[in-house]
Amino acid sequence: MSQSVKSPSMPGRVSRATLFGFLGPAVITLALIGIVPLAFAVWTSMRDYNLTKLARQKFIGFENYVTVLNDGAFWDAMGRTFTLLAIALPMQLIFGLGIALLLHKPGLGFFKTIARLSLVVPMATTYAVVGLLGQVMFNLKYGVVNQLLGFLGLGPFDWLGDPNLAFVTVIFWDVWQWTPFCALVLLAGLTTVPPEIEEAARLETKSWLTILRHVQLPFLVPGLTALLILRTADTLKLFDMVFTMTRGGPGAATEFIALLIQRVGFRAFDQGLASAQAVILLIITIVLSRLYISFFYREVHS
Amino acid sequence: MKLRTTVSALALTAAMAFGSNAAQAWSLEEAAKPYEGTTIDVVFLLRPGYEAAEEMLKDFTERTGINVNLIKHPYENALGEQVRDFISGGDLDVALVDLVWIGNFAENGWMVPIEEFTSNPDLADPDLDLEDFFPVTLDAFGTWDGTVYGLPFDNYSGLMYYNKCMLEDAGFDGPPETWEALKDEYGPALTKDGKYAYALQSKRNETQSADSFARMLWPFGGSFLDAEFRSNLNSEESQTGLKFRQDLMQYMPQGIVAYDHAETVNALAQGDVAIITEWSGFASSLKDPNTSAVADCIEVAAEPSGPAGRKPALGGFSLAVASQADDDEKAAAWLMIQYLTSKANAEKYLDLGGVSARQSVYEDESVRDKFFFADALVESWQEGVPEFRPRFAEWPEITEIVQEWGTKMMLGEVTTEEGAEEIGTRMEAVLDDAGYYDGEKPLAQ
Repeated sequence: MSQSVKSPSMPGRVSRATLFGFLGPAVITLALIGIVPLAFAVWTSMRDYNLTKLARQKFIGFENYVTVLNDGAFWDAMGRTFTLLAIALPMQLIFGLGIALLLHKPGLGFFKTIARLSLVVPMATTYAVVGLLGQVMFNLKYGVVNQLLGFLGLGPFDWLGDPNLAFVTVIFWDVWQWTPFCALVLLAGLTTVPPEIEEAARLETKSWLTILRHVQLPFLVPGLTALLILRTADTLKLFDMVFTMTRGGPGAATEFIALLIQRVGFRAFDQGLASAQAVILLIITIVLSRLYISFFYREVHS
Repeated sequence: MKLRTTVSALALTAAMAFGSNAAQAWSLEEAAKPYEGTTIDVVFLLRPGYEAAEEMLKDFTERTGINVNLIKHPYENALGEQVRDFISGGDLDVALVDLVWIGNFAENGWMVPIEEFTSNPDLADPDLDLEDFFPVTLDAFGTWDGTVYGLPFDNYSGLMYYNKCMLEDAGFDGPPETWEALKDEYGPALTKDGKYAYALQSKRNETQSADSFARMLWPFGGSFLDAEFRSNLNSEESQTGLKFRQDLMQYMPQGIVAYDHAETVNALAQGDVAIITEWSGFASSLKDPNTSAVADCIEVAAEPSGPAGRKPALGGFSLAVASQADDDEKAAAWLMIQYLTSKANAEKYLDLGGVSARQSVYEDESVRDKFFFADALVESWQEGVPEFRPRFAEWPEITEIVQEWGTKMMLGEVTTEEGAEEIGTRMEAVLDDAGYYDGEKPLAQ
């Protein structure tokens, strides 16, 4: 029995139809899911578009953008969001790196497996549930946090009723939920360091800091960049946890940018203004991501 | 507006009283026959009155063959869900209308005036009797610009709940009659040993604007708007009320700006607070030994009076037929609304945990004995203000402003004058944009 064996086609000889057949559905789906809603948001942002006043909707050009850029509430919310980012993200990275380095050390295999598994729990918990838990746990009178602090002779603290403490509570909760994610990504990065190089480095120096800086860090940079981009984007759009825990209050102490957009778009129903806010937020996120990539990748290449 | 409502109610009552023979033979089963098998979609909240209605709907479906699909939401989501459904021509056949949504729903044409059904003898129950509803509830919850759209369904008034035992221990033989007495006499006497005289739910959501901010405006003669629809928040009366709230905070638990209804009711139920002013809907849980550690001590009265009278908090929902429903669904929806809010079913609704707005049911001595809050409720509804919160379409935008700056006032981040100025400026900008100042829209609230 003989069969004619065809040689595999060379990439250059694949027809356009075949390429489109394989790639087309994915590209079209992505465009429908990602680009069409974005285009609609941009279109909406240039209209006077209030859901409860649709009869008088009209094209108003960049008026919504001008309103947003001159709106003190928008910049206040932006300021709060970046303050949160500037405090929470470094903490998550530092604690995450610490946990990753501990788990990377040889020995205690069983305990490390348990630790790795338990790290998944915070980030597997739904954001909104984390917020609801916070509402109960940080309650001034009945919350377990004040009860525990009471055993140490501290408090009680008005975690959710005091503007500064409410902000601290949000930072604490965000760090609690997302440090494990950073730890796991960085741990994955550490496992890519060739053991022989690491071993050779250990023979050269006893300083873990030197090993971290010169041997491990270069392997961690791709993971770190991904973490910076993901955590920045996530923090900029942080909503569920804060909404269920403080609803942006007390006052406007925890009204981050995503809460402001939700308030304008879905409570005051001004979708035009909310879309303009969201588009500006998107632009800021993209600019930050590009900055991270160009800065960190340049460093690793150099 | 009230006059026009009253006139239409009278006309309808007359039509019912002297109606045709067909009207006399009216029965729910006969009226529903053409619509048997119809399914109607309605948004319900996760509150006791809705559980009561759900129970009653079993009987309704059995008698009529009309199925009711309940879509349950917490209050905070109910407006958004309905707005999105109505603008996209969705499935809802009934509008659940909070009193502060009615201007919005009416201006957008999302509800059918009840006249379309009450003028149809096949659908109108001869015992509908609109005059039997407490006038303030029909005016505030169901009527906009003189047209009745909905029938009062889930009805609330602010009431004063107090811990009789704590008051007696402090030497008081009854609750405070006035807000001043609460602050000057009850406040100092009851705030001690980790207990507080009073708690005013003030969380930054509708609770801040409705339960906290507005509650302190009206009894002191203040209001959100003056007759020209300009901000009235910096008037002497409004400022007196807002400053009173600041003064009263010394007798409230720490962190009161984080207190929503649950925390406030719980504070009274656990014996940590002596007096609260809360919605009538919380009466049963406060008297229930399973949910209240001091159930035997809990008593209820109408809210205290201020210099301008009692003017208690007013809130509630009506049910209206949605314009987007088809004709069969509209008819079926009307029959359901009429059934749930009828005189005949008022006591059953009360028994199951709802609060009826039918005057006749409270005339029965046994009902007043059975429901300990009934007397206070009836008294409160005599003095309610329909525009306790403005009911126009712009309220969703304005309440957000009030929530933010009202909380900032309480936290001392701004003075009451500064806060009132901020709210006033922003509120007027919203109203200006809506066209109230150039005569485009009538000054209705």
